[in-house]
Amino acid sequence: MFFGAAAAAALLPKTGRAQSPSRKRRQVAEPADGEFPLIRPNENVAAFAEWESTLGRLVRRATYGPTVAEVAKATQLGFQGYINYQLNYTRINDDVVEAAVAAKWPMLSQSSDTLFSADAGQLRSQLQESTIYRATFSQRQLYQRMVEFWSDHFNQDWDKVGYLLAADQRDVIRKYALGKFPDLLKASAHSASMMLYLDQTASRNTAPNQNYAREIMELHTLGVDGGYTQNDVAELSRVLTGWTIQGRGNFVFNPAIHDWGSKTVLGVTIPAGSPSLGLAGINEGEQMLDLLVNHPSTARFIATKMLRWLLDPNPSETQISAIAAVYKATGGDIKAMIRAILNDAWLPVSPMKLRRPFHFLVSSLRSTNPTLTSVATLNGQLNTLGQFLFSWDTPDGYPDKIEYWAGNIVPRWGYASFISAQNSATSVVVDTTLYRAGTPDAAIDLMDQNFFGGEMPLVTRNALLTYIKGGTFNDTRVRETIGLAVSANAFQWY
Amino acid sequence: MDERHEEDCGCQEYNELSRRQFITSAAAGVSAAAVFPAWLPKIVMSKAYASNRDIIVSVFMRGGADGLSVCVPFADANYYTSRSTIAIPQPDASAATKGINLDGFFMFPQAMAGGAAGTGGLIPAFKATDLLVVHATGQLNNSRSHFDAQRYMEVGKPVDPALVTGWLGRHLASIPPLKPDAPLRGLGVASGLQKTLVGAPKTLPIADPTNYSVGGSAATQAQRLAFMQADYAAADEPLHSAALDATNTVNLLKTVNFTAYQPANGAVYAANSAFAKALKSVAVLIKADVGIEAAQVDIGGWDTHSGQDPLAGSMFRTMQDFSNSLAAFYADVIATGYNVTVVAVSEFGRNVRENGSQGTDHGRGTTMLAMGKGIAGGRVLTKNWPGLAREQLEQGQDLKVTVDYRDILAEIVQNRLANPNLSFVFPSWTPTMLGVTR
Repeated sequence: MFFGAAAAAALLPKTGRAQSPSRKRRQVAEPADGEFPLIRPNENVAAFAEWESTLGRLVRRATYGPTVAEVAKATQLGFQGYINYQLNYTRINDDVVEAAVAAKWPMLSQSSDTLFSADAGQLRSQLQESTIYRATFSQRQLYQRMVEFWSDHFNQDWDKVGYLLAADQRDVIRKYALGKFPDLLKASAHSASMMLYLDQTASRNTAPNQNYAREIMELHTLGVDGGYTQNDVAELSRVLTGWTIQGRGNFVFNPAIHDWGSKTVLGVTIPAGSPSLGLAGINEGEQMLDLLVNHPSTARFIATKMLRWLLDPNPSETQISAIAAVYKATGGDIKAMIRAILNDAWLPVSPMKLRRPFHFLVSSLRSTNPTLTSVATLNGQLNTLGQFLFSWDTPDGYPDKIEYWAGNIVPRWGYASFISAQNSATSVVVDTTLYRAGTPDAAIDLMDQNFFGGEMPLVTRNALLTYIKGGTFNDTRVRETIGLAVSANAFQWY
Repeated sequence: MDERHEEDCGCQEYNELSRRQFITSAAAGVSAAAVFPAWLPKIVMSKAYASNRDIIVSVFMRGGADGLSVCVPFADANYYTSRSTIAIPQPDASAATKGINLDGFFMFPQAMAGGAAGTGGLIPAFKATDLLVVHATGQLNNSRSHFDAQRYMEVGKPVDPALVTGWLGRHLASIPPLKPDAPLRGLGVASGLQKTLVGAPKTLPIADPTNYSVGGSAATQAQRLAFMQADYAAADEPLHSAALDATNTVNLLKTVNFTAYQPANGAVYAANSAFAKALKSVAVLIKADVGIEAAQVDIGGWDTHSGQDPLAGSMFRTMQDFSNSLAAFYADVIATGYNVTVVAVSEFGRNVRENGSQGTDHGRGTTMLAMGKGIAGGRVLTKNWPGLAREQLEQGQDLKVTVDYRDILAEIVQNRLANPNLSFVFPSWTPTMLGVTR
């Protein structure tokens, strides 16, 4: 159907729309002349008025969706208790999930030497499906959210690195996701997968390749405005010559292709060495990694990115300085930074964030709680949604920008009707018994609890009630209404 | 990521044959029978509208395309001294991999010219004077970061972090629609909206226009879309407009029969190419005359740090995909008389000297392309070739940027897209018109 003229007029972009006090927003600067109907992306979307609970805000940010059980856990532990619970993730018993992962996706625990000759398509699916599964069912929700964050920060593309990615995910990202940033950065710099992805394997003394040297400063540590120059890129690339891989995919320092000349990076000079130093030549690079992780620009850059991920797409200078100070004081302790970011003063006034396709899909699974006999179908759906895992080809990772994802709404609606349908293959089966047990109103109340943490916006409630009462109250109607709850505006945000 | 959308929708409904296509084809002297192709069986005349304006297809070659391989200055001897393993042999060389002469100074590699005979790829468009290559072009911003360079190129203004809308988005916002009732004026063939298009009204990212549906029962679809209408009415931008446009676009696209589409002039869009598939979808939408006036299409694979091999390897395949896909679009759409201009840009070029990995690292000046009946093509446009000798290079390593890419785009926006609001589309920039349009 096409909207009627009156409805379309009501939906036209409005400037100076009346706002209730709880929906205050900051304006995005747009220094362009003229009075043209630009669609101005707003990254400071005030939360729904119904999202009154600070604890609810915390659960939305720390998890892939506020299920009844998660909200109950947070209520029981209290604000600080719940943060501590999620941060001390190794104390959360996740044996059931990990046993299932080990049984379903056994390749994840194998070494690169073994995976070298494994079926690549299978391994890729195992990596993708297990990531969806863990994000959905793991009790260590905040940890899983940070695994996603660092997977983007240290992004690699399966098409370029293949089987090496399994070791990177396991031994770098998942090992240090809630550890100390310097350990994480250094593990990444010794990852065979990263060496291949950013062309360290092609770099040699006779002509260094600058790809990794640039991105480790631009994307991994200092940030693009972090104060390095093109000359620093060139010099660091010389320092890193010899950092490569050998055999079936193990990191190695190869002194034979190392540039032993003197170099200066960020004002620090490494004097000329000699081939007789052999393997000790790696220490030049290690010294540079220390320089990078201790650089004030790195503290600010990591603080800014974590704030954007967990709190606000446009963090304030005060917030950035405060979290950068925590980085400096704790030696880049990720848990300490998260604890400082997720505080009960900042959370209630932070804007909402748009769920990316992976987050959206995982949230829908947590809310609908289907019986899954296979994750392959969901993996295919995530591809259609636009976030096929480990497949972003450039090293910046999947975007976390509203204007990038907002237009891709129809695939979300299509997915929502797919998973809620009775015949959505046999691999994803949503049980509607409880929704059909009472009245249509009771069904919507249950959706409020399961999908919106008990804080479903009124506009969504009314629209869902209209729909569920707009036909015979039966299994099909209930399923379609569940599909609409997943499609709803409020379900796209966290 | 788009190449993994493999399914076809199998839509059964038909779209309308437009007045515009009828007029264009008739004016081109095509017989009346020929203007009713089988894939357009139902004829519905659309509302009359003025249309001398071109539709624009904007291509971003992501990764930093090596302009010295895309269009090779073979007569500059320093090209050969700088590239010991990845140079393309001169047109009069005996090597099987020799280039295809364009003007005595520049040549296309075979990958751009459809092979050794040099009669395919983009050569027909070049010979028909519909393809312009601009060389030693790029942006003033000298960032060698992909992400900074792409961002500011797409935004259309160097290093202004406050500007978030793209140049093509502002173009669409500052002219009236080609068709007043068009539900979709612009599309990005991608899973997310490219920065070039941000800000545009009635514009969506659609990774696969052939498969764009909300699914579920047809009987309840209207009622479910009414839910979306009510529920998203209070949403913030850009979700608010996206939801409104999406509901209308779902209805629009199901009237277009993509699967039965037969390209004109025997054009072949390679089935295994995401870029070709994207251009084909754009071609279908242009011919269906549903009001599309801008499309953004991306092609990756240009970040050739190692194993570049423009003669037979990695970059050969990327250029071949690029040129063959655009050649198909040229034959199918532009050569048949549709008012369409194609532009292709990349965020930067690459070092003049190759690195130790038979590749090239991030550089500065590169090539851009413009194609269409309204483009003064058939030549390689330079503003005094800056040269490839070390002392002629920026920072001793890169081809200088002598033409700001906005000069080319601004002239096209003004003369082909009929938009006089250049200071809005390219803020703080006074373009120099170089005669790139007819």
